[in-house]
Amino acid sequence: MAFEDQRTTVYKINPEHPESESLPTLRTEELLLNMGPQHPSTHGVLKVILELEGERLVKSTPVMGYLHRGVEKLAEDGTYHQFIPHTDRLDYVCAMYNNFAYCRAVEKLLKLQVPERAEYLRTIVAEVQRIIGHQFWLSAQALDIGAMTVFFYCFRDREILLDWFDELCGARLTTSWYRIGGVERDLTPSLIDKLKQFLNYFPPKIDEYQVFLERNRIWLGRTKGVAVISAEDAVNFGLSGPVLRGSGVDYDLRKYEPYSAYPKCEFNVPVGKNGDTYDRYWIRVMELYESVKIIRQCLEQMQEGPIMADVPSVTLPPKERVFTNLESMIQQFKLFSQGFDAPPGEIYCGTEAHKGELGFYIVSTGGGKPYRLKIRAPSFVHMGAFDHMARGYMISDACTIFGTYDVVMGECDR
Amino acid sequence: MSVAALTKKILHAALFYEIWDAMKVTFRHMLHRPMTFQYPREQRTIPDAHRGALGLLRYDDGRERCVGCDLCEVACPSHCIKVISAEDTARPLQRYASEFYIDITKCVFCGYCVEACPVNALAMTKMYEYSTHDKRSLLFDKKRLYDIGERHLDDGKKYLYAHNQEKNVEQSREYRYYFPQSVQKSTQPSPKHLS
Amino acid sequence: MGLKPATNPDVEAATIELSIDGKSVTAKDGVSLYDVIAMTGKIIPAMCYHYTFDPFGSCGMCLVMQEGKKAPVRSCTAKAAAGMVIRTEGEDLFLARKKAVEKHLSVHPLDCPVCDADGHCELQDMAFQHGVTNLANAKQKFIPEDTRSPVLDFNMNRCIACAECINVCKDVLMIDALQFMKKGGFNQVVAKGDLALDCEFCGDCLAVCPVGAITNKFSKYLYKPWQMKTTTTTCNYCGDGCQLYLETKDEEVVRVTSPLSWKNKWGDRSETAKGHGGLCVRGRFGFEYLDSKSRLTQPLVREGGQLVQKPWLETMHLLVERLTEIKSKYGADAIGGLVTARCTNEELYLFQKLMRAGFGTNQLDSSARYGHMNFVLASKRAVGLGRTPNDWEDLTKAKTIILIGSNITETNPLTAVRIKEAIRVYKAQVVTLDGAITNIAKLASHPFLIKPGTEGAVIDGLVKATIDQDLVDEEIVAKHPHAFEALNSAVENVSLERLAAQTGLPVEAFREIAAIFAESPRSIILCGEGIVRRTNGYQNVLKLMDLAWITGKLGRAGCGVNTVTEEPNEQGAVDMGAAPEFFPGQARFDDQGVRDRFAKAWETSLPPVGSGAHLIEILKRCKSGQIKALYILGENPLATLPASMEVRAALERLELLVVQDPFLTDTGELAHFVLPACTYTEKDGTFTNLEGRVLRVRQAMDPLGESLPDWHIMTALANAMGCRWEYQSANDIQAEIMKLLPGYYNLGQPRKVVPIPDQYLSDGYTAEVKARYQQTPPSGEHTRPFSLLMGQLLVHSGKLSTQASGLIKIAPNTGKLRMNIRDMERLGLQDGAKVRVTSNRGSLQLGVQPDQSIAPGTCFFPEHFNEPPVKDLMPVSVDATTGVPSFKQIWVSVEQA
Repeated sequence: MAFEDQRTTVYKINPEHPESESLPTLRTEELLLNMGPQHPSTHGVLKVILELEGERLVKSTPVMGYLHRGVEKLAEDGTYHQFIPHTDRLDYVCAMYNNFAYCRAVEKLLKLQVPERAEYLRTIVAEVQRIIGHQFWLSAQALDIGAMTVFFYCFRDREILLDWFDELCGARLTTSWYRIGGVERDLTPSLIDKLKQFLNYFPPKIDEYQVFLERNRIWLGRTKGVAVISAEDAVNFGLSGPVLRGSGVDYDLRKYEPYSAYPKCEFNVPVGKNGDTYDRYWIRVMELYESVKIIRQCLEQMQEGPIMADVPSVTLPPKERVFTNLESMIQQFKLFSQGFDAPPGEIYCGTEAHKGELGFYIVSTGGGKPYRLKIRAPSFVHMGAFDHMARGYMISDACTIFGTYDVVMGECDR
Repeated sequence: MSVAALTKKILHAALFYEIWDAMKVTFRHMLHRPMTFQYPREQRTIPDAHRGALGLLRYDDGRERCVGCDLCEVACPSHCIKVISAEDTARPLQRYASEFYIDITKCVFCGYCVEACPVNALAMTKMYEYSTHDKRSLLFDKKRLYDIGERHLDDGKKYLYAHNQEKNVEQSREYRYYFPQSVQKSTQPSPKHLS
Repeated sequence: MGLKPATNPDVEAATIELSIDGKSVTAKDGVSLYDVIAMTGKIIPAMCYHYTFDPFGSCGMCLVMQEGKKAPVRSCTAKAAAGMVIRTEGEDLFLARKKAVEKHLSVHPLDCPVCDADGHCELQDMAFQHGVTNLANAKQKFIPEDTRSPVLDFNMNRCIACAECINVCKDVLMIDALQFMKKGGFNQVVAKGDLALDCEFCGDCLAVCPVGAITNKFSKYLYKPWQMKTTTTTCNYCGDGCQLYLETKDEEVVRVTSPLSWKNKWGDRSETAKGHGGLCVRGRFGFEYLDSKSRLTQPLVREGGQLVQKPWLETMHLLVERLTEIKSKYGADAIGGLVTARCTNEELYLFQKLMRAGFGTNQLDSSARYGHMNFVLASKRAVGLGRTPNDWEDLTKAKTIILIGSNITETNPLTAVRIKEAIRVYKAQVVTLDGAITNIAKLASHPFLIKPGTEGAVIDGLVKATIDQDLVDEEIVAKHPHAFEALNSAVENVSLERLAAQTGLPVEAFREIAAIFAESPRSIILCGEGIVRRTNGYQNVLKLMDLAWITGKLGRAGCGVNTVTEEPNEQGAVDMGAAPEFFPGQARFDDQGVRDRFAKAWETSLPPVGSGAHLIEILKRCKSGQIKALYILGENPLATLPASMEVRAALERLELLVVQDPFLTDTGELAHFVLPACTYTEKDGTFTNLEGRVLRVRQAMDPLGESLPDWHIMTALANAMGCRWEYQSANDIQAEIMKLLPGYYNLGQPRKVVPIPDQYLSDGYTAEVKARYQQTPPSGEHTRPFSLLMGQLLVHSGKLSTQASGLIKIAPNTGKLRMNIRDMERLGLQDGAKVRVTSNRGSLQLGVQPDQSIAPGTCFFPEHFNEPPVKDLMPVSVDATTGVPSFKQIWVSVEQA
């Protein structure tokens, strides 16, 4: 097939060669390649238009919106409380973190103080979610690059935590466990036991994953020096999370704007040097160890106490009071049918999710519904740097680069 | 780098040592029991808190708990519940849900309806196997929901207990909601929790 | 505003200054402090206060701190006084208010899940706002629910004893049907005397109830507020044009609520003068016909003597075929049309355009012909204004109101509330002249009972008494001395004594009424169906104009002669030209300039002058075979007009009868084509109410079944008949009307027009006035002892409301003749006894029931029901000038059967 368009350049091989006059001309052209939206390594339904020169990526344009569901608009329709299940479906791999970030934003708007035990519970579950997220990323990235075994082992361990979630809140993925003002359900002794068991079981498993990848020359070859981004560029592109730290920027909201129980825990923030895919891999694996550390500390420090703030105008009354007390009944009805009365104002609250900074921006004009809700999804911001990071690499690296952001299209398209 | 180290490195590279290292892990797993199970024959044990299909519950005396207050309808983030309430012809002056629909294809299983219900009439069960060839049968009506509630009564009660909605079975009587509007005669004794 | 500033609208209350939260505020002296605070934009909670009535002060929520007082004061009952220093916010006040809420909550049942008020409950709001938790000593009442009334259920467990219901009933509606009674240890609201509630059932108590203590039986337990879609629209029962909120759930109308509610509790007296926002029984409870099972959902076509359901397309093809055939065979004059005044302005406009431009005939009329046309033509003749000159505000602020021949609380309940307001707040003198003991007469300062059918004679007497007593405004009559002279000579022979005997009104009464009317600075005459729907209606309205003219009330602000309309859009029907004598905008059909304008606008030639026919003439022409095809839109002449009109014969003679209606009416059963139309909830448009205000009608639901809005059907029909109409929505029609009648939709409150009778008085007045006062001797029919009247009930409106099951439950067709109890005793009749009623036209056997509103010597049957066919006893007399048929009164004899 010959495409006769203006991109086509016709030139002779080695024009200096005297015989070239007699050689037939060879036509080369830039190739436009649609990757996705149904490519397995595009993590959902992302399409990227790749401009190729040979196998080199000249330009790549991500086309987003295949998974757009109007979540931000949906938020304007329901009460603040009703939006929590919708956040589950943003980054569907790590619903807990979305819940957490959203609840934190609303609490910031309401200036609501969350009880201490709830803060610890939130931290524990968020870190468990971080482990799940990184496991998922690791398995998917390894699979994209061609290492299947890691995928199985990661999913095996992830399964333990998902079942733990199931026992905690009744769902493995769409958790909706966080509530504005606290959490829905306390950890039972059995859950704590299971978590403790897991904490003992898990660190050797991380080593196991590393055995497959750390020195594997294919892995090294496919990740070292691939998709390099300088610290300056990373900051300019607004990257965050492991992608930013991989370039050597020591920026973690858990440290810089400590929230929840993080200030009470000791942990390191691993930072990379080269800003390549390998460094980002390394950071994520190191964060697995750190997460285990944080959960351990939280479990130790956690005291008995309430798990929900007791603010009658915002939080639901305990159910047993609803049956017998009129004022709690009224509270229940008002909160579910009209929601709480949020003060007018604007709020932005960013939370360090495992992908990066997950922020919620809420405009309230008073009343029970947000006037506008904007989600700063790390996946979306990271996609902005795709072209910059992919330029000049081979087409087969495209998969690596998708993966290195840990992109989830549910969050990216919203 | 010392010669020994260099030699070791070359050797490792030549012999694909890291592959053997990894293969060791892989082969070790051949001795483990498989993590997977054969689904239809083997079933997962589902925790009490599991948010499965919704069912409607009755009190122990067989009365419908639901009073048709429609709070589940407004609490539902995906608008999948529709309650049609009316006056109960059998018991005048009592409100009840004459029709109750849950479009389970729209349901997001968030459990808000259960949380909202002021009489704990709704509960989530461990039932999750209801796939069908006919999508229309996934609009659960009142009869179907009561059927589910009856068949999975224990699950429902355990769910309510697990999510702090109701104390365990013995105490659940205390959790019963009383209907003052049902008073037909002013001589009716007041319920226990109020006296 | 609570605690009225003045009883006289002319006297302004003194302006005072006080300080609220550190800000200086000016207010009127003597006004409730609550309103002054509300005026500054600060809304403090109050559960028992509503601006429409005087403060009661039972809830203890509206507490404010007044400097110099130790304890908080209730702002609603406190009067604003000069120099007050008020603080409305603060922790102490919040806690005091919280305590008040707790007091109410502690005896409130756990009813939220089953309560209809849930989500629209002030107690809930207050409890939530004040963050009440952990109430100590909650106890419950166990009061059985009072379900005796057919409309409202009283659940006194939920009552917070705010007395809003009692106050609104007593103060605003002056019905006083509710009271407090100590029962079972609690103060409970009960119907007067603890009987089953039996009142006008306006439901305003339901609207102001801040909790769920009073509930609506027709929508009980059917809804929660969050399930419903609310549409603001205009009621289509009477000409008052009340705004209402139609609350729908999918395709079902659940309830109707009014702008009056506990939610808008702050306001101003000047707002209530324009209407307090309440509704009447029809508006609030008569919604069930909208989604009735008996609605037509498919076009019907007559095939072999049967009406068969057909799809729209086929029906329209058949219909157009028949119409074209008739038009080509017999000409355009073989087609006629009738339209109901329950249609929107847009549809009425389109109807007359269809008849005139589409079919080319001027044989069209609307149901305004049944009475309102008398007033319009008389008023247009006299002062050149084809509508009522006064609005509700004028009515409220009038000093004297003469209500003649109008049972206004039954026909137009919300206009009646304006008169009640005039009586209550501004102490107006109200004269009622009616043949029945009306409810408004019980409140009036000068209630007079006259013999039925003598309203005209009463006016003669009033004019005579005015001239006799020299109450004439010399300055005004001096402008037209000839006219006054003619009037003087016309009434010369009138003898008050003879009139007194004829009407039953004493001579002194004539003199007194004349004096009251003439001497008051703002006097309004309101004539109802007793004038406009009876014989000589046109002349009687002109006589009222005479009365107003000689006393100098014609053209003075706040004075005038007014009427009330029965159907929502009778005024609109006239304004839109749905009458053979008028073009849209009440331009005369025979005016050449106007004809040219409309012919140009419609790009057609108009039917010739003189070819037009009004309702009675159309029926006559049908009978004579001149009209072959009749297009009836919502009208039901067969069920409305008495048998003596031979409507059935006329309709059966037609080659083509097309009926377009939401229901299968009596007329529809005779039709060849029945087209299903929508009710007003399923279309957009406007109504023009009796004040001349243009009010919006909004679509609340999708059309039921395959029914379509009338304008849609008419557009389709016109296009099939070869017109090229491009209306996509009611808005397009509106745009066209706006172009033709500039300013019609901008009216809002109609422009005040000063009625000027000069033209009329100088042109032909002297010639026609003589005939007006020629006393018709009492007719020979008087040989029979009883006067049988047919008229409206409060609960019903036309035939439409009989489709509303709720209204039928309140007022079913008893099939009984209503008589005064004394007459019944005299005749030895028991309640329910069978009687034979005989008129000159025939006789009829039916039951009898006592009714205290019926005057001795009269008996009454509601016009809404034809079972038994009492209407067939009636003769029809047609007004020579206006063609208005009157058939509501006859002399009968009643004997035990």
